[in-house]
Formats: sequence, C-alpha cells, structure tokens
Amino acid sequence: MSGAANDVYLVGGSRTSFGRFEGDDQDLAEQAVRGALGDCGLAWGDVEFAAGGTNGETKPDNLVSRMGLTGIPFVTVKNGCATGAVALGTARNGLIAEQREIACVVGYDNHARGAFSASPARYGIGAWYGATGMMVTTSYFALKIQRYLHEHDIDPRTLGYVSAKAFDYAASHPLAWRRTPVTIDEALDSDMVNDPLTRLMFCSPDAGGVALILARGPRAFDLCDKPIRLAAVELRGRRPGSFEVFSPWLSPGVRTSPSVDAAAAAFHAAGVRPQDVQVAQVQDTESGAEIIHLAETGLCLAGEQAAGYLDGDYRVDGRIPVNTDGGCIANGEPVGASGLRQVHEVMTQLQGRALGQQVPGDPSIGFTHVYGAPGISACTVLVAEGA
Amino acid sequence: MGIQVVDASLFSSLDPVALQGSACVACAAHVFPAQATCPMCAGTEVSVVALPTTGTVWSWTTQHHAPKPPFRTDEFAPFSIGYVDLGPVIVEGWLLGRIEWVIGEPVRLALAKAWTQDGEPVFTYGFESVA
Repeated sequence: MSGAANDVYLVGGSRTSFGRFEGDDQDLAEQAVRGALGDCGLAWGDVEFAAGGTNGETKPDNLVSRMGLTGIPFVTVKNGCATGAVALGTARNGLIAEQREIACVVGYDNHARGAFSASPARYGIGAWYGATGMMVTTSYFALKIQRYLHEHDIDPRTLGYVSAKAFDYAASHPLAWRRTPVTIDEALDSDMVNDPLTRLMFCSPDAGGVALILARGPRAFDLCDKPIRLAAVELRGRRPGSFEVFSPWLSPGVRTSPSVDAAAAAFHAAGVRPQDVQVAQVQDTESGAEIIHLAETGLCLAGEQAAGYLDGDYRVDGRIPVNTDGGCIANGEPVGASGLRQVHEVMTQLQGRALGQQVPGDPSIGFTHVYGAPGISACTVLVAEGA
Repeated sequence: MGIQVVDASLFSSLDPVALQGSACVACAAHVFPAQATCPMCAGTEVSVVALPTTGTVWSWTTQHHAPKPPFRTDEFAPFSIGYVDLGPVIVEGWLLGRIEWVIGEPVRLALAKAWTQDGEPVFTYGFESVA
C-alpha cells in the first residue's frame, strides 16, 4: 500500500512527561521535536514546513534558533484548547497546498499551578463579572454538567466512574502525570469544588510538550512501518444556542455545540461513522465534559453514558476505549500540547505501540476531539491502512 | 447618593430592581447585559429593555472555594451561582440565601451586597427563592 499524492500521514511522534516542569517552556518543545524526528529517523533539516503553538509567552517559531536556521516557513498558532489541532490542520494544508513532503507540528506549555484566571476584558465582559466571582472556569463546567445530568436523567455517580477510569489508564502510562489509582467513591467523596464536581474530577493546568511528524504521499511509507492517515481535521466555532464559558446569558431553546459540528464535519470528511471508531480521545477538562462530549461527538447517544460506564464500554477492552492515556484528568492540560497528546496517543494505539494500556484487536480507526474557550472545537479522524 | 452597584449599566432600575438587556429589532433575541449588536442574527439594530424579574433555576452550582482575583469580597463564604430562565433569556447570577438548589424552582430578582467600599455597601444582583 502506498499513499495517494494528497494523503497526509503521521509518521512519527513524541511526547514529554506531563506534570510540573522546572525549566524553559521551549525545553519541552525541543525535547518533543527531537523525539518525534528520532521516531521516524529524520533530522530537522528534512522538515519543510512547521506549525506550532503555545498558550504561554514564548514564540513557537523561535524554536528554529534551537533546531536549526533552515529557512522553512513556521506558522504560529494560538487557538486556546484547539491550538494543537489547528497546528496539525495547518501543517496538513501546508503540505498539500505547497506540495511539500515533510512537516513538523509541535505544541507545548508550562502553566503555573492552579486554575486559570481570566480577565473579563479579554472576553469583552465588564469588570463586574470577575469582581462578583462569576469569571470562574470550574463553575462553568459545573453549571453545564448539572444541567446536562438533569436533562438526560444521568446518575451523578457517573462522574466518579469517569475519574476512576482516567486514573486507571494513567496508572499504567509511564508519561502521565497523576498515576495513583482512585476508586469511584474516592472521586465522589473528595473535596467539593463546584457542585457536582469534586477535586478528583478536574484536570489541572501543568506542563508538557508533544510533537508529530507528517509526511505527504508515498514518502510516508518509506519513513514508517505503519503510517497513520490523517483522514480529517476540522475546526468549528460556536453558533447561536451554544453554552460557553464566561456567558452572562444564554439563549433559550435549542442547544447547539461546536463539538457536534466539528465532529460531524470530521466524520463526513473522513467517510467514517462514529460507530466505526475503535479508540477515541474526547476533551475531559473534568469528568462532566467527557460525559457530554461522548454524546456530542456521536460516540454514544445522550443519556446512554451512565450505562456505558457501568458496562465498561470505555475501558481498554470495551466497546470504544476512551482517553486511554488518562486524558486531561490524569495528564493535566498544558493547553498548547493537549490536543497533540490526544493525537499522539491514538496514533500509537493504531500502530500497536501504546505507551500504556494497548487496545486489543488491532484497532484501525481512531478519533480525537478538543473543546475550549470561547466556544471552539476541533476533531480529527485517524486511519491505519493496509493492516 | 443612592444605592451603589457593581455596574450601573446592568440595571434598568434599582427600586424596584430590574435588569437591563437588549432586544434585537430583527429577530427579537434578548441579550444580557445590553449590547449594541445581536450575536444571534448579526443584526445591528437593538433596543434596550427591562428583563422579567421572575423565573426558574435552569442550572446551579456552589462555589466552595474563593475565586482568584479579580473576585472581590469582604469575607468569603461559599455562595451559589445559577442560570435563571427568565423567558426571553437565561441570565447568570448569584442565587441568594442557600447553597443547595433544585432545577426548576421559582426565583425572583433581588439586590445583594457584593462588598463594602468606604464603609458603604456595593450591591450586585441575584435571585432569591420565592418559596
């Protein structure tokens, strides 16, 4: 099997350990890029196009001062939680539009301890909103899942199942951050942050870097035993009716979601159905987000989640293993790296070389989903061919 | 000198208290706080309206830990935040007097002290139980 000229493949990848990091942000990026190049036997001089992103203050395109001044175009992306996926899509498009062969994608961040604090002015909201304690991301997630559990009659204990699953996956993943197993009851009984969400249901901002190497056309098969085709990358923004962070008001009536739109577009572009997916990553900023996003992406029906967790559907040997590296809950969320961590995990699962628990049965179709402020989502479909 | 509030543009009146939103002339969508354009239909002609003062709890949570700055308070105690369905629009605000709520329960708009400045209370809006 050799790739069609405008098919783009993942041929190499690397991630750092996630967690606390004492050092320069770009140490993480450099470590990831060198690891990804080594993974497919390439050198920086082989890279013809690069895209990278961080939510921090460093300039991703300045990585060339460490890697080598080869004169290639390096596009910088800053799209919040969708940064990694947007960088990935940019690199894919760059390879196709400019008929180049090799691209490097990198995402990294090194966040300070504790929840993000946000400025109302950056979101176009008056100072009163922050001063009265409403500019709080944890309360947004809580308000959203509280309503969702009510509308779909889902047992709140399901939130504990999500955390227990995440920490179980992470316990056997050498590069995950929080690797101590947690029981369902421990998750439910931990310190309440925002009803119904407890401390062990939230991810935390932390540090990490991920890089991927893309190759276009037949070249991919020279570089990698099992290239993974990037069958779709789709980014969508919010439409009327979506329920987003930092919203002093919502419209009544039909709820929409950029996740629904991005997932549908990705499945359409790839010619794949949600029920074909054999390993997936969905944005799990907290346990409730995973529950919501499983349905919004089409991986299950709304209201079905409680039974799904009870039945082990999302475990490694279940119907559709989800967030098999522990997701954001156990890896934390270095914003620039997080979306690429998802793609790296699904890529290695499809190649049969997962760092943690390997999905059995040679899965060949994978899916990733990110979601974030101010109402954006990006999804990818990854396909292993010629198995 | 009257009642001090966190942001006068949030209110169409203070006694009796009512919130001020905007309504799109083209599609009738209501928005809070009032803004000059309509994000729903991209319309550019809106009118300023007083929002209904009673509604039902659409969702709720309780903030068990003090938010980071710019949150401002005299002394932190856990407090509830909710979305209240006022009919034409669902508005986010404090839920007053309790830290446990039930989706669907009726509430009404009220003023609540946010903090003290120069010895005088500064008020924000919230919703209190009708029961």
